[in-house]
Amino acid sequence: MAEAALRGLGSRRRSRRLFAAGMILVGGLGLVAAAAPWLTSYDPDAIVVAHYAGPLPPGGAHPLGTDTLGRDVWARLAYGARTSLFVGGLAMALSLGIGVTVGLVGGYFGGAVDTALMWLVDLVLTMPTLLLLIVLAAVLPPSLLTIPLVIGVVGWTTFARTVRGEVLSLRERDYLLAARALGASHGRIMLRHLLPGVLPGVVVLAALGMSGAIGIDAGLSYLGLGVPLPTPSWGRMVSEVQTYFAVAPWLVVLPGVAVSLAVIGFNLVGYGLIDLLGERRG
Amino acid sequence: MMALLGYLIRRVFRAITTLLGTTLILFVLVRVVPANPAVSIAGPKADPETLAAIRKDLGLDDPLAVQYGRYLERLVHGDLGRSYLTGRRVTEAIGERLPATAKLGLTALAVGFFLGLLIGIVTAARQGSAADIGVLIATLVGLSIPTFWLGNVLIYFFGYRLRWLPLGGAGALRHLVLPAATLAIVELFFYARFVHTNVGGTLASDYIRTARAKGVPPLRLYFVHALRNALIPVVTLLGLDVAALMSGVTLTETVFNWPGLGRLAVQSVFQLDIPVLAGTVLFSAALVLVANLVVDLLYGVIDPRVRHG
Repeated sequence: MAEAALRGLGSRRRSRRLFAAGMILVGGLGLVAAAAPWLTSYDPDAIVVAHYAGPLPPGGAHPLGTDTLGRDVWARLAYGARTSLFVGGLAMALSLGIGVTVGLVGGYFGGAVDTALMWLVDLVLTMPTLLLLIVLAAVLPPSLLTIPLVIGVVGWTTFARTVRGEVLSLRERDYLLAARALGASHGRIMLRHLLPGVLPGVVVLAALGMSGAIGIDAGLSYLGLGVPLPTPSWGRMVSEVQTYFAVAPWLVVLPGVAVSLAVIGFNLVGYGLIDLLGERRG
Repeated sequence: MMALLGYLIRRVFRAITTLLGTTLILFVLVRVVPANPAVSIAGPKADPETLAAIRKDLGLDDPLAVQYGRYLERLVHGDLGRSYLTGRRVTEAIGERLPATAKLGLTALAVGFFLGLLIGIVTAARQGSAADIGVLIATLVGLSIPTFWLGNVLIYFFGYRLRWLPLGGAGALRHLVLPAATLAIVELFFYARFVHTNVGGTLASDYIRTARAKGVPPLRLYFVHALRNALIPVVTLLGLDVAALMSGVTLTETVFNWPGLGRLAVQSVFQLDIPVLAGTVLFSAALVLVANLVVDLLYGVIDPRVRHG
C-alpha cells in the first residue's frame, strides 16, 4: 500500500525543509534512546513515589509525571524509545533482507521463478497484516526478538515489489548485457551490477519501512502482544492507563505523541529522500 | 471479449490459489502453537486418558498432511471447527460478529473515501498554495498517528469532556459515531493524499488544457473530466485498502469494545482459543480476497488496457 503513496513532497525547497525536519525528529529520537540513562536518573520499571496516591501530574521531580503504578513517565518514554528503535530497526532490516533478495531474484531470473515469488508477495499482501501478526505473536514464544522477527517476516512485500520493478527496468541495459557476455555469474551480476542500481529506492523504503514497523509495533503492544514485560513500550503505556484518561490525560497523550513523532520523522525522511534522490538522478 | 474472459479466469484462478496458500499458512501456524490443544480444552488438571481421548477425537496424532487434508475438506463444507472454550461452531461466532464489523468498516470507508475524494480534488486544483501544503502536512500527520491513540483521544474529548457520545459499547447509532470517526479519519487522509496527487497530475495533462480552452466550467472540469481518469487507480487502492481497513478495525474495536471480528480475534488470542482465532483470520483474509477480486474484475471492465497485461 505504501507504493500507492510513494510520491514525493512537491517542490525541491519544500522537500529539503521537510527532510531536514524529519532528520531532526529521527536524530532526536536516536539521541533520547542512546542517552536514556543520562537523561533520567530513574529506573523505568521502578516505583519511584514513596507513598502512592494516584498518578502525579507533570512537574517537579517528575517532569512528565508518574503513571498508575507510580513509575516515572519520562523514564519510561525515554527507554521506550530504545524499544521502538530496536523493534523497528530489526524488523525493517529483516524485511529489507528478504524483500531485496526476492525482488532481485524474481526480477533477474523472470519466468516461473518470478511468477512463484510474486504469487508469494500477493499472498502476504492480501493477508490482513495485523491479524496475521496477531496469530504469529500468539503462537510464537514471547521474547524480545519475537516481535521484530514477526513484523519483519510480514513486512517485506513492498521491498520485493519495488526492487523487482527496478531490476526489470535495469535488466536490458547495455552494461548488463556486457557483463553477461563476459561470462559473469548470476550472483555476481545481481550483487555487483543490479544491487547498486536499486539502492536509492531501497534507502527510501528503509525509512518508510521503519515508520511502518514502529507504528505496527505500537499497535501490537497496545493489544498486549508486544515485547514482553517489563520492557517499556509506548503502545503498552497507552493500554495500561487508558481507563485513567479522565483523571490523568497526560498518561495517554504522551506515549501517543511519542509514537506519532517517531513515525512522522521517518516518513518525512523517506518521502523527502524520494525527491532529493530523484532530483540528483533526473 | 475473449481477452476479458481470459483475464477473468486468470484472476479467479489466482484468488483461489491465494486462498489455498492462506489456509496452508494458517494450518502451519496453528500446528506450531506451543499450547497443547487438548490441554486447552480439558484444562491443565485433566487426566492423561481424557487428553488422549481428545487428541484422538481431534485427530492430533495423524500425520500433518492427513490433518491438512481433513482441514481443507471441512473448509469446503463450510466447517471452521469448534471453539475450544465454548464448543460452539466458529462459523456461528463469526456470523454473530460480522454485522458489527461490517457496520463499522463500511461506514468508516464510505465517509473516509468520499471526504478524502472531496478534499483531494478541491486541494488539487490549487497546487502549490497554502492549502496544498496544509493537505500535505495534515496527511503526513494523519497517516502517522496511531489509530488506537486517536480513538482514545476522541473518547476523552467527546465522551468524558463534552459528554456528547458514549465511551464505548455498541447498540444505538450514537455508539457508532466515535469508532467510525476514528477509522474514517485515517481513511480520509489516505485517500485525500492519493487523490490530491493523482488529480493534480491529471489536471496538468493536455486533454484537460484542451477542455479548459474550450470553456468547460471549472466544476465540470474537476469532477467529470479529471476525476474520471484519476479514479481508475483509486479503485485499485480501494481493494488494497480493505486489508489495511481490517487492521484498523481490529484496533478500533479493541479501543471501543466494539463486538466485531477484530475484537473476537484478539480475545481468542488471550483465551488460547485457536480455532476461533484461525477461523476469524481465514474469514477476514477471504473477505479481503473477494474484495480484491471484485476490484480486479471491475478494473478489467473499466480499463481495457489491463486485460492484456
